[in-house]
Amino acid sequence: MSTTTTPGRRPGALLREVTQHGLVWPALALVLLLLACGAKSPGFLDVALRDGHLYGQLVDLFRNSATPLLLALGMCLVIATGGIDLSVGAVMAMSLAVSLTYLDGAADPSSPLTVATALVLGLGLGVLAGAFNGVMVAGLGIQPFIATMILMVAGRGIAMLITEGQITTVTSPPFKSLGSGFVLGIPTPVVIAAAVFVLVVLAVRRTALGMFLEAIGTNGEASRLAGVKASSTTWTVYVIAGVLAGLAGIVYGAPTMAADANNIGLLKELDAIMVVVLGGTRLDGGRFHLGGLVVGALLLSALERAVIIFELPSQTTPLFKAVVLIAVCVAASPSLRSRLRTPRPPARSAARPAEVAA
Amino acid sequence: MSTGQLVPTAPPGASPRTPVARARGLVGSFDRRFLPVLGTLLTLALMLGVGQSRYSTDRADFVSMKLLSNLLVDNSYLLVLAIGMTFVILTGGIDLSVGAVVALVGLVSAKLFTAGLPLPAVLVVGVLIGTTCGLLIGVMVQAFDIQPFIASLAVMFLARGLANVVSTNSLAIDDPGFSALAAWSLKFGEGRGLWRINASMLIALGVLLVAVYVLHYTRFGRTVYGIGAGDRGAAVTLMGLRPARTRVWVYVISGTCAGIAGILFALYTKSGFNLTGIGMELDAIAAVVIGGTLLSGGVGFVLGTGAGVLVYGLIQVLIAREGLDSWWTRVFIGGVLLAFVVLQRLITVRRR
Repeated sequence: MSTTTTPGRRPGALLREVTQHGLVWPALALVLLLLACGAKSPGFLDVALRDGHLYGQLVDLFRNSATPLLLALGMCLVIATGGIDLSVGAVMAMSLAVSLTYLDGAADPSSPLTVATALVLGLGLGVLAGAFNGVMVAGLGIQPFIATMILMVAGRGIAMLITEGQITTVTSPPFKSLGSGFVLGIPTPVVIAAAVFVLVVLAVRRTALGMFLEAIGTNGEASRLAGVKASSTTWTVYVIAGVLAGLAGIVYGAPTMAADANNIGLLKELDAIMVVVLGGTRLDGGRFHLGGLVVGALLLSALERAVIIFELPSQTTPLFKAVVLIAVCVAASPSLRSRLRTPRPPARSAARPAEVAA
Repeated sequence: MSTGQLVPTAPPGASPRTPVARARGLVGSFDRRFLPVLGTLLTLALMLGVGQSRYSTDRADFVSMKLLSNLLVDNSYLLVLAIGMTFVILTGGIDLSVGAVVALVGLVSAKLFTAGLPLPAVLVVGVLIGTTCGLLIGVMVQAFDIQPFIASLAVMFLARGLANVVSTNSLAIDDPGFSALAAWSLKFGEGRGLWRINASMLIALGVLLVAVYVLHYTRFGRTVYGIGAGDRGAAVTLMGLRPARTRVWVYVISGTCAGIAGILFALYTKSGFNLTGIGMELDAIAAVVIGGTLLSGGVGFVLGTGAGVLVYGLIQVLIAREGLDSWWTRVFIGGVLLAFVVLQRLITVRRR
């Protein structure tokens, strides 16, 4: 560690550098939360191998993190370009509705080919939704917030039209296993999320795509002048977000096998945005951190789990989400740091975060 | 986005010009600021026309004082929410917390009534809850430089969580004073043409009038438009106005409006419930956008927002009259929103 401190720096410099890293606060919160849960419920950190499958609270935690991680991956890329995608929750509902409605009408819902077609249809709808958002934002130049809000508002209505207002339920073990099965002992959603994560990281960091995204997010016009195809790149990113939202909808809804258009993915877009922010990416575009998403997604699930472990009513979860979000944002706020560093008004600005977090 | 349009002034074409310039003024440089609002009014007229031709019977016209009165009664809380949201959006911000605040205010009011607090105290506390939530957002946005989206999202979670802590059941409000306030109305007309003016309508219209005055005739209003014009309030500072204070105030206003809307919604439903208001912030934002305010800030009118709320309510009336299932409402609202943002986009492109 000490090798990173260049000679001549004060010892506090390393500490400051560490605390300024965007991921420190959420990671710290995650570790504290897990330890607290472990202390409260002794079996929490145990992982058991039963019938060749991994079981345990921690495994459930990872399984629950899969959906927010999938959504947040797409969201993070969109946010990197300076945009936002509010439609992902509605896209989840639409994709699941399309998949399950197709399965419902199929002759043999359990045959692999039918399930594959259902999956492709669901993902295809994600592509369509993403393409629509992309055209609105990149083609017409409409602000991302309002452009994606159109599908957010209309999407659930469309999902209701697809399921004809019913909660479509189907029996199809292969499809169900997408959400509740295991691959080599690891829950399928975790495998899917991990695979997608690796794919996105490779696509973004091993090619120039990530740099393009950051360039567009930092200054769209400058990036265009520098030869970045800003319009088509932005469009691609919304399509990716759409596909991942479709996938998330299928993975999320598969265990219940019920296309409840009103409730599947409700407010998930806000969870996804929260994960991105907790992961140390700022909403105004430019630099983004994919690794932080894993921490953010785990933190979100750990928070939801901790509420149950501490025997609090599960409806109070939003309260703790708010506290964590405010605490992490305020701790990471550059203006707070600069205030703390200036010697004169420390008492006032130090009192503020405590008051806000309370 | 646009500069030099901080405050709406006298109608265009009022100043003496040459005939050519005047003609061009009517066609070419018709004040573009009014175009989105004009679109809203046209949509409103179109929808009223469709309604009139399809649903009028021999005995009663569709377009009537009764329709207007029903629209205002059913949407008074949305009008107040949208007015507060207009302030925030004009500065280029956003407030996602308002729906959750409505739920919180309704529940707390119901609890306070059961605790035996007098009516005026409950009303004041209800509104102040909204004000506090707004202040919290404003402080986070201004003092800690957190984006409005995230700051208001956090407060949304906070308010929703607190509402869930207060109660997860629907609490009925049976305070006699409150019931009297909810039932009070002035009746006009007779038989099928009977229409009413009730308390929530008057409150909503009062808020609208105050908002018009504050936004268009005060220094504060100019600052709101100035902040939304871009450059992070630098121009506003040079003008000797105070962007920092104003940026906090717009969230306080929006929060206060959400508090008032919470009371109005409680008057409307005579109960408090922790699941009310999910997605209500989107309804408010949609109404503001349909009313011709640009989400990038700096351009828009609070009266346009009023027209936007009417369009919004009218969509629901038309869907119900048509006998379509309620989920069509969402699809239609999405469609209207789409039409409006594309229209606004075309206008801003032409302006350049």
